[in-house]
Amino acid sequence: MVAITDDTAAERAELPVMARWATAIRRNPTIAAGAVLLAVLVSLAILAPWLTVDPLKQATINRLRPPSERFWFGTDQFGRDIFARTLHGARVSLIVGLTVAAISGVIGLALGIVCGYFRRIDGIVMRIMDGIMAIPSILLAIALITLTRPGLAVVIIAIVIPEVPRVVRVVRSVVLSIRGQPYIDSAIAGGTRGFKLLARHVLPNTLAPLIVQATYICAAGMLIEAALSFLGAGVPPEIPSWGNIIAQGRNFFQIAPWTILIPGVFLALTVLAVNLMGDGLRDRLDPRLARRM
Amino acid sequence: MTAYILRRLLATLPVMAVVAVFVFFLLRIAPGDPAAIIAGEDATREAIEAVRAKLGLDRPILEQFALWLWRLAQGDLGVSIFSNLPVTRLIGQRLEPTVALTLSTLLVAVALAIPIGVVAAWQVRKLADRLVMIFAVLGFAVPGFLAAYVLIYIFAVQLQWLPVQGYRPIAEGLWPFVEGLILPSVALGVTYMALIARITRASMLEVLSQDYIRTANSKGLATRRVLLLHALKNAAVPIVTVIGIGIALLISGVVITETVFNIPGLGRLTVDAVLKRDYPIVQGLILVFAAVKVLVNLVIDISYAFLDPRIRY
Amino acid sequence: MTAMNILEVRDLATHFFTLDGVVRAVDGVSFDLARGETLGIVGESGCGKSVTALSILRLIPPETSRIVGGSVRFDGRDLAALSEAEMRAIRGHRIAMIFQEPMTSLNPVLTIGTQIAENVVRHTGVPWRAALDRAREMLDLVKIADARRRIEEYPHQLSGGMRQRAMIAIALSCNPQVLIADEPTTALDVTIQAQILDLMLELKEKLGTAIIMITHDLGVIAETAERVVVMYAGRKVEEAPVEALFAQPTHPYTRGLMHAVPRLDADAEIAGRRPRLQEIPGIVPALNRPIAGCAFAPRCGFATERCRAEAPPLVSTSAGHAVACWETARVLEAA
Repeated sequence: MVAITDDTAAERAELPVMARWATAIRRNPTIAAGAVLLAVLVSLAILAPWLTVDPLKQATINRLRPPSERFWFGTDQFGRDIFARTLHGARVSLIVGLTVAAISGVIGLALGIVCGYFRRIDGIVMRIMDGIMAIPSILLAIALITLTRPGLAVVIIAIVIPEVPRVVRVVRSVVLSIRGQPYIDSAIAGGTRGFKLLARHVLPNTLAPLIVQATYICAAGMLIEAALSFLGAGVPPEIPSWGNIIAQGRNFFQIAPWTILIPGVFLALTVLAVNLMGDGLRDRLDPRLARRM
Repeated sequence: MTAYILRRLLATLPVMAVVAVFVFFLLRIAPGDPAAIIAGEDATREAIEAVRAKLGLDRPILEQFALWLWRLAQGDLGVSIFSNLPVTRLIGQRLEPTVALTLSTLLVAVALAIPIGVVAAWQVRKLADRLVMIFAVLGFAVPGFLAAYVLIYIFAVQLQWLPVQGYRPIAEGLWPFVEGLILPSVALGVTYMALIARITRASMLEVLSQDYIRTANSKGLATRRVLLLHALKNAAVPIVTVIGIGIALLISGVVITETVFNIPGLGRLTVDAVLKRDYPIVQGLILVFAAVKVLVNLVIDISYAFLDPRIRY
Repeated sequence: MTAMNILEVRDLATHFFTLDGVVRAVDGVSFDLARGETLGIVGESGCGKSVTALSILRLIPPETSRIVGGSVRFDGRDLAALSEAEMRAIRGHRIAMIFQEPMTSLNPVLTIGTQIAENVVRHTGVPWRAALDRAREMLDLVKIADARRRIEEYPHQLSGGMRQRAMIAIALSCNPQVLIADEPTTALDVTIQAQILDLMLELKEKLGTAIIMITHDLGVIAETAERVVVMYAGRKVEEAPVEALFAQPTHPYTRGLMHAVPRLDADAEIAGRRPRLQEIPGIVPALNRPIAGCAFAPRCGFATERCRAEAPPLVSTSAGHAVACWETARVLEAA
């Protein structure tokens, strides 16, 4: 790439807001693309009740209608509006993705810091994490769900548990690498102790990799939720999640492919948007990691 | 070398032990009465007690655990609640389709993804590289079942080149067997290929900026030799690592892919067991899949010694 | 082109295209290399000497840089006009190169034997087995003991000095007419440095290879070169036979370099001063903006208005001695 820019920091600061945005987008098109796409999807999800009809309303007379002016995305075998169901499905996916990312981020952060600090606990916790990571995540989630009554909360917990070890590993390695740094020694020598040390030195350094990891977990969480629902082991079938819509359209796929393809494409777009944000953030926050991937 | 392999093999035992303890206690610490959940919504008191006795849940927990471990050590994974058949036999019956599907996917994905990644690194920031990166980013986002349905719609429903669903054992002839595996393998392999292509590109880019590549070029070697011998051999360790990590993707993907394509393998067995809450089967499958994953990682670790002469044991 | 010269570089200009603008790494450099001669190119790091070497072989990174002007004639052929395939046939065969870092310049996952033999097979087409024999021969030639075992070994099993010997073995394995050595001894211990330089000179005598010795170290120049080119900020500022350069350094920059060489000075010791390395004040100018006038002017004690406004041409002061300076008379007077 040949981009010849000669602007100094002073000149840049005087740029009008629009131009500064333009610069930001040019420097990091990945984040920008992901953010725009995600913003569109989130707005659709939030506005779903105002934009669409009731996603649960059945009308046998309208069953398996192809996409048309009246039913933008067609209807399913019960005559339910796929447009309404897909937009409402976005709410389920986004809620699951964000909740999974937040919970596994918090638990992983806490465990990771504990492991990084206390060698004795570290050995035990990391062995358990290795064990959990040896189990393929969908299988583990399925097993957890088998044992309880289905529901959104159970699905979220079942997805969180296999994701936690990934966060723990990231956080722990950051804590360990920070502990080896001379400036931490000097901070300790200077009297910084315990919680203050944690808040001032450890947390800020953990934040960047944690956010990047959480983004990927958000995407993975949405994919796993859809897969679980698709297999019939996810959120209860009456909730219009994308996985459920696809699962319920399976038997009619050959005559009504829209019942599967449209929610599927929405899922892919959402995951794409979140992944793009993750890639962009990683490039911004953690250049060393970016070179590796 | 042999000593190292033995040592590493021993090191996998704690991990497998954690998995075993985990799946054992999962059933016992789950909220509510597991026997009642497994027996189903409308089960009678007797039916629930029957399940409890069958799972041995009426005995003290440590006794249960000791008995379970003892049987596990002998290769006994327990008995299915519904069919009363040993779990090992059920798994054995369903093994062939899953092994065929995962192996074909693995081979095809690796054989395609590594060259794609090498070309992308070589042509970095040019058209070929952009296309590969677009594929890689999309491959990460497209869920396996969407890929599967799109493929079915195009190649089976519209073009009618390949069967929509089903599995034909290899005993029924090579072509029917292969024909049935093409779409499932592609659907299963998309994400895996994206992962491998991406790491190959990244690893190659890192290597191509090294001094020894400049040396190789200063010798006037053919581009092919520089890329495929000098660079790829150095880039191999992260690539092989990711191929191993990706096995988890394949195992998780098998569950979905076999459901979509109606293939009677371990994935289907898992889903059926889950829907019937046949916990011994789920438990057995988790152990088997975890063991496969741990063994694959072991093989990968050992392969490093062959890829990089600086690694000594 | 005279038949004497194996290599003629004329007005070579190589630019790097970066986010901070166009960097003029090599900005119109010319020199000749006679057959069997050793030419030294000396200058601080970042003066463009390595890029000059890589430009001759057309090995500069194509994503970021380009040769924008000038010509390189090798044995009567213009290298710029050759196709990439023709150029590859010359690299490692007619013109070979050794690099600064023996630690990183050898491929860590290939045996020493493979790395020598592949060059031989590539350019002479002999079978692999014969190439391995040649590899053993080369290791003997560069005085690595136990060559039979060493060709089976990997770079990490060799010491730094041995690796550089192996690099020389690779470079000379096809009897090149030109060997470009880019800081071949900088990364080595002082005692090893001397051994490697002696080896290179010995092999040069034996094989008749012309050498371009690129270094920042005037000691290396004094020991090896017959003629010297001094580079500063991508330009040639002085050229002279080695004796003339040391007897009468004429460009203020060359003088600065000489003062930066540590030496045990008897007078200084008598005066009670410890011999001190004299630095050239100031820093090398940024190359991403065009430099008006002499590039050294901002750091030069002799600089005048004219120096800052107008680039000095290269002027011959005596036989084979040329310097690009407006103030040569004043500089020589001050000596």
